[in-house]
Amino acid sequence: MNRIFWAILGKELLAFLRSAGLVAMVIYSFTIDIYIAGEGIQIKPRNVHIGYVDETGGGISQKILTHLHTPEFLPPKRYRSQEELSRSIFNKETLVGLVFDRGFEKDFRQGKQAQLNVLLDATAASQSFTTLGYLQNIVLDFSELDLPVAIKTHKLFNENADNKSFMALTELLSVITLLIVILTAVVFVKEKEEGTWEIMLLMPVDPRLIILAKSLSQVLIVMAGVVLALGFVVFGGFHAPMNGSIWAFLLLTFLYSFSSAGIGLFVAAVSKSVLQVAQFSIIIMMPLIFLSGAWTPVYAMHPIFQKLSLFSPLRYYIEGTESIFYRGTAFSDLLPYFSGVLLLGALLYWYGFRKIGKLF
Amino acid sequence: MADLEVRNVTVSYKKQIGIKEASLKANAGEIIGFIGADGSGKSSLMHAIAGVIRFEGEVCYGGVSYHSPKEAEQLKSNIGLMPQGIGLVLYETLTVGEHLSFFANIRNLRQDASFRTYRQKLLHMAGLSDFTDRQAGKLSGGMMQKLSLICSLLHRPKLLILDEPTTGVDPLSRMELWEILDEICKSEGTIALVSTAYMQEAAKMDRVLLFDEGEIIAKDTSKALIDSVKSYTYEQTACENERCFSLDKQTYSLKPLHAPHTEPTLEALFFVNALQKGRTLPHIEIEARESQDEVPQVVMEAKGLTKIFGDFVANDHVSMNLHGGEIVGLLGANGAGKTTFIKMLLGLFPIDEGELYLLGQQIRSGKDRQRLKSKIGYVSQHFALYKDMTVRENLLYFANMHRIAVTTALSRIDRYAKELGFEDYMDYFPHELPLGINQRFSVAAAMLHEPVVLFLDEPTSGVDTIARAQFWQILRGVKKKWGISILITTHYMSEAEYCDRVVLMKEGRKIADDSVKALHAAHPDAKSFEEIFLEYYRSKR
Repeated sequence: MNRIFWAILGKELLAFLRSAGLVAMVIYSFTIDIYIAGEGIQIKPRNVHIGYVDETGGGISQKILTHLHTPEFLPPKRYRSQEELSRSIFNKETLVGLVFDRGFEKDFRQGKQAQLNVLLDATAASQSFTTLGYLQNIVLDFSELDLPVAIKTHKLFNENADNKSFMALTELLSVITLLIVILTAVVFVKEKEEGTWEIMLLMPVDPRLIILAKSLSQVLIVMAGVVLALGFVVFGGFHAPMNGSIWAFLLLTFLYSFSSAGIGLFVAAVSKSVLQVAQFSIIIMMPLIFLSGAWTPVYAMHPIFQKLSLFSPLRYYIEGTESIFYRGTAFSDLLPYFSGVLLLGALLYWYGFRKIGKLF
Repeated sequence: MADLEVRNVTVSYKKQIGIKEASLKANAGEIIGFIGADGSGKSSLMHAIAGVIRFEGEVCYGGVSYHSPKEAEQLKSNIGLMPQGIGLVLYETLTVGEHLSFFANIRNLRQDASFRTYRQKLLHMAGLSDFTDRQAGKLSGGMMQKLSLICSLLHRPKLLILDEPTTGVDPLSRMELWEILDEICKSEGTIALVSTAYMQEAAKMDRVLLFDEGEIIAKDTSKALIDSVKSYTYEQTACENERCFSLDKQTYSLKPLHAPHTEPTLEALFFVNALQKGRTLPHIEIEARESQDEVPQVVMEAKGLTKIFGDFVANDHVSMNLHGGEIVGLLGANGAGKTTFIKMLLGLFPIDEGELYLLGQQIRSGKDRQRLKSKIGYVSQHFALYKDMTVRENLLYFANMHRIAVTTALSRIDRYAKELGFEDYMDYFPHELPLGINQRFSVAAAMLHEPVVLFLDEPTSGVDTIARAQFWQILRGVKKKWGISILITTHYMSEAEYCDRVVLMKEGRKIADDSVKALHAAHPDAKSFEEIFLEYYRSKR
């Protein structure tokens, strides 16, 4: 029993190490890919092209423009007329256009309602609207209003409001999900394609043991990748905070990987070739990732999607992981996440066993 | 100057040579046969002549010479190519009629009255006139090949290149394919280059080219070729020296032997060539098995097994049995239902109807099989082996699965490697080895646990003549020394000769089941098994 288990496990790891392409893909996904996601995905405005038309002759308008500086904004570019500005927005050369019309300075000095016209390219919605928010703040500063309310902010869990480590962590979770599903599905489908799976089913070994050993081998590969990613990228590159227990995170990851290997098993059961694995994985994984809250918080979804998200093991995993990293939640309070991941995993395995793991 | 002249054509791939400095000449109306093992360069040369791959050297057709696929472009309207593999050029969801229109359109043919007459003639010859509305995916293997052939004949090519058009096709369709080909070559003056795995077919062609390891080693009429090895062929006798090989009632030796000569077949060419090249054929000697498991009287009994996929009946009430110490050959064309039947026996497909008894026990569910697994050996189609493990690692892995003690496993693996002649390849990966070696080592893997019955699914498909002959030697040896039963499927009708009993299948039904002797007795006029089966195919249409 034990010997067979180790023989299968060892064989799978050996096969993995011998395929250079696969090793390279896994290393890439767990290092460079996560680094790029952390560095590259920006929600704050950055390098925004600003254009303006100034008919006032300078003064207040120039003062406002000096507030739009790097790294958020490129130096504002002057256009001679509103048509020219509109054209450059049309040609995607400018994202935000400001028009200070003739009466702007006069109205401002006289304390009347001065009007600043803003043109936004709404195809880059989030960047241009955040820029609008910046502009409103700048304008607010100029009007020196005496508001009766002052805001005093306390940032919890992530004091620097740094979203790099957050993005990197989200990407890590997505990479774990994708890789474990594809790797597991591929080890089974490759055997199906080459006909060795039939030979394995005919061995005097419980097929469940074979399936468990094969899934475990892929889980181990992914766990090694997770350690790599945590050490070099998440903590090394982005200095992510770790307020909880790293062991709780690793345990949760281990259980989650096993559950997701169940999805891989399901994919393997319905696919005939490695090409089909790629197709099915994307069809199945995309909704799981959308519904998990990786990109949009679950509470912001349509009520039906909120219900559906209960079936995404990734949801429990993401909520659990964020709790561990940022909130430092204690082990005992993580129980709902652990059980959600386990329950869904058990269901998927049961189906996979039935579908590809038995003789008639 | 001949109509087709091929001069010193060499095709090389990244790591290996496909074909080296091949030359040939052919005239209008001739049919040239290509024979040789898988990977001996037949397809490479065909693709080079068809102008679909890069090559060195020169091909000259009808006074126009070309050296590259680009230069061959001007001759494409004269060339017809049918690649290897059943139905490879067909589109499953198009009907027969749509195929003909499609190929006529991409060839830009004028579809006038004479085209329509020619089209009707082709359809009629292929026996497809009544099936113009049927989708290609729903045709039998033989019909698919006939359709592929007439599709490549539609533009009246003067140079027809067919890569193993008959492999795996039922004997009747094969004969019809040859009739079409003969007729077209005669009436249209077409040159046909045809590769084949069946020596009986090669014997009928105008000239035969023998390929070995990327070279053409002989070219002549089949009669002249056979005569050239006559002096090396004897009636079966004991070998006195190294360069000698006995098989199937004949002995081949380079040195003269004191035995009467017999009439050789084209197969003899391969043996004599191997001897001349000094290739030592591994000596095969099977020893008795270690365990003393008794083989029951009736190993397997199937009663009316039926398998239905959607609306397609793959096996229609097939009944047969397998006795202790018997080799039964399950014969039939591709798609006759052989593999489906074996998979039902093994439990890889659920049985839709019928009863199955294995080793005296009725099989009702997967649980019944659990205990029997250690007594059954199975070699699947295309030799399922782990590609990223060496031969030794593969065998050790399978031994582990069977819980064979490590020392026993190691000694057994060494013994099999010696007995089956693959000792020298233990540390190679399967893809680095010739098919014949992979075949032997898959059998070794299936025998590691000393089963009492072996199920072999198409183990000889694509394997060269010598390896096939040796493989049968192994099976006979195993049967003799181990006393176990073997059920083997094959599409080579000629291999029936090596079995004790044969079961012939056609379109999911059993159409013959008798011992080899009885079949011969019932058909005294038939020269070969090929002909016996042809009669069954005709009568059970």
